[in-house]
Amino acid sequence: MEQKILKKDEIGKLYKEFESEYNFYAPISQKGNIVFEKIENPEDIVLDYLNSKIPPKSVLFPQMEVLFEYTLDEKDVEITDRQDLDQKILIFGIRPCDAYSFELMANFFSFHGNWEDEIYLKKKENTTLIGIGCNNPRTTCFCTSVGGNPFNKENMDVFLTDLGETYLVEGISEKGKEIVNKLSWLSDAADKDVKKSQELATQAEESIVTKMDTDKIVSNLETSFEHPVWEEISESCIGCGSCAYLCPTCTCFDVIDETDQYNNRGRRIRIWDTCQSCLYTLETSGHNPRNTKIQRCRNRIMHKFSYYPTNYDLLGCVGCGRCISVCPANNDLRTILDKIEKIEKEEDEKIVA
Amino acid sequence: MGIETENKEIEDSIRDEAKKLLSENQVDVVIGYSQGTVPLSSTMVIIRKEEDVDKLVWNNLCYINLARYLAPLMPQLCDSEGKPLKIGIVAKGCVGRAINMLAVEKQINLENIKMIGINCNGNVNRSKIDLEIGEKEILDVSISGDDIIVKGKDWEKKFPYDQYINELCKICQVKSPSATGETCVGECQEIESIHDEFADIDDFEAKSTEEKWEDIKNSLEVCTLCYSCRQACPVCYCNLCFVDQNLPIWFGKTTNYTDIFTFHLIRATHIAGRCVACGACSSVCPVGIDLNIITRKLEKIVKERFDFTSGLNAETLPPMMDFKMEDEEEFMLEED
Repeated sequence: MEQKILKKDEIGKLYKEFESEYNFYAPISQKGNIVFEKIENPEDIVLDYLNSKIPPKSVLFPQMEVLFEYTLDEKDVEITDRQDLDQKILIFGIRPCDAYSFELMANFFSFHGNWEDEIYLKKKENTTLIGIGCNNPRTTCFCTSVGGNPFNKENMDVFLTDLGETYLVEGISEKGKEIVNKLSWLSDAADKDVKKSQELATQAEESIVTKMDTDKIVSNLETSFEHPVWEEISESCIGCGSCAYLCPTCTCFDVIDETDQYNNRGRRIRIWDTCQSCLYTLETSGHNPRNTKIQRCRNRIMHKFSYYPTNYDLLGCVGCGRCISVCPANNDLRTILDKIEKIEKEEDEKIVA
Repeated sequence: MGIETENKEIEDSIRDEAKKLLSENQVDVVIGYSQGTVPLSSTMVIIRKEEDVDKLVWNNLCYINLARYLAPLMPQLCDSEGKPLKIGIVAKGCVGRAINMLAVEKQINLENIKMIGINCNGNVNRSKIDLEIGEKEILDVSISGDDIIVKGKDWEKKFPYDQYINELCKICQVKSPSATGETCVGECQEIESIHDEFADIDDFEAKSTEEKWEDIKNSLEVCTLCYSCRQACPVCYCNLCFVDQNLPIWFGKTTNYTDIFTFHLIRATHIAGRCVACGACSSVCPVGIDLNIITRKLEKIVKERFDFTSGLNAETLPPMMDFKMEDEEEFMLEED
């Protein structure tokens, strides 16, 4: 039997199997916010969460990350590269949408193979994903419209399904199958367990209420860069960066050198940046190509639903709905995309009239 | 009278006033709140036509301070000849205070603004409700009688309204805008001064310096530096925020505790004596940080030292923007 059963009180036992070999990350509740953190105590793990507040991109692409450190003497600079990139990472309890986001981010960090961001890519290579199906997608979720599914197992190594009292465990990748084989203490799943997991998957998929025609959106965007709809779309935006910071596919970062001149050393770090910030595009000359809120709001949508499809033939959105639920101004992505989807129709009507 | 009935009355009055102003050409547009697309939210809407006034709502989820939109919107809201449009704006007390502050600081010209004053009955404390509901999706939030009814897929929870509104709303003393004459229609009042109790920070003040430090440090731990608080703040309107200065960099922007702390403390200091106690900074925080503790403490100091409350009129400069030769400075190094 390929499928196994993990009892809910055996999470601690599972953790013990991995803790020495891996940096074990899992969702925990931090002041009411679900975030992926390195686990010290397996009892902290929360698996029945809706959607983590901070996406697990923070494990492979943390908000702040040291790229290298350096020391200076009178003549030379000595650079110390990251020493921890070979460490094995395990992300436990990741959802399918977030697991897929790692693939999208890898596209950016390898830029068609022309250039490679070793830090991200090495970490990704050393990462094992033990994911879990999404039994209760939120009403803001729309993964099925962007090529995903609440039970998409594709990007996982091991896939869990919450059956109520137990978890169904399936090895997906070769690496994942080996892992499941090694966990010899897992009991075999019965046919009814597998059947139940399939029912849950169907239920979850059917429960997704937000549907959108992304082909239409992508094609409409190609011709609507100057459309007045952007003015309307950006009206309520207050220009914070929550949507981008909490987006699992947003990869932008700023690079900063921190110099400790008293000790002749320093470090280069990268921190998350967002195209919603006015300074993001400010050039040294003083010119700012995206000086207005309208341009910045447009960029976020164009990047996910137009530039990304052009560059990689994929949508740059995984449909997790975080930007919808966290936006302080309730500038709902669903409403935005709906307006874009309708652009052509309205113009057709005008022609008919 | 229940909150539900009050809301209906407020909402009707907003729509009536908006309709009247638009139909009489007293204003060209009305900025107000409309129904949000997710529970526990509302969104800003610009009403341009009389027949759209029914989009305006009042539902105790109107936590954004609309004054925040005014300064950036005013240059955009012009007619075809570039003449500024006349703007109506739905104003709860703290929106009115913010508008006054912006006028005092010469960010907006009151000539083109009409406040549609309402007698605000408070806003729901989103983060408190979110925290209590936990990892269950909220599908609907409504007010019934004097309760907040929160509904999910197969559950329903009742929260008493008076306990689950923002802490600042509980002690608010400026429920309708402090303005008179031409600027205001609807519920408005003239307020000379208020006796602010600052009961909301009693617990914080009773703590030792070390405990206060730990408290603030602890609450800021989850900050993602998204700057929603700054962006939502009606008096945080700098074109270039100190934290964004990058030629050269003035402050660290990392997630190190010192950087997060520096940002919040300096922002709070910048709005000392200017904060209008709307609580928008805390309401919009995606990770639910209560920033009011810091801002309210500063407001209390300003009140005690200068007997000043911000935004009560459109003339008086806040203490940090004004000086008198006889000002005493004996408190400069005191520990508060």
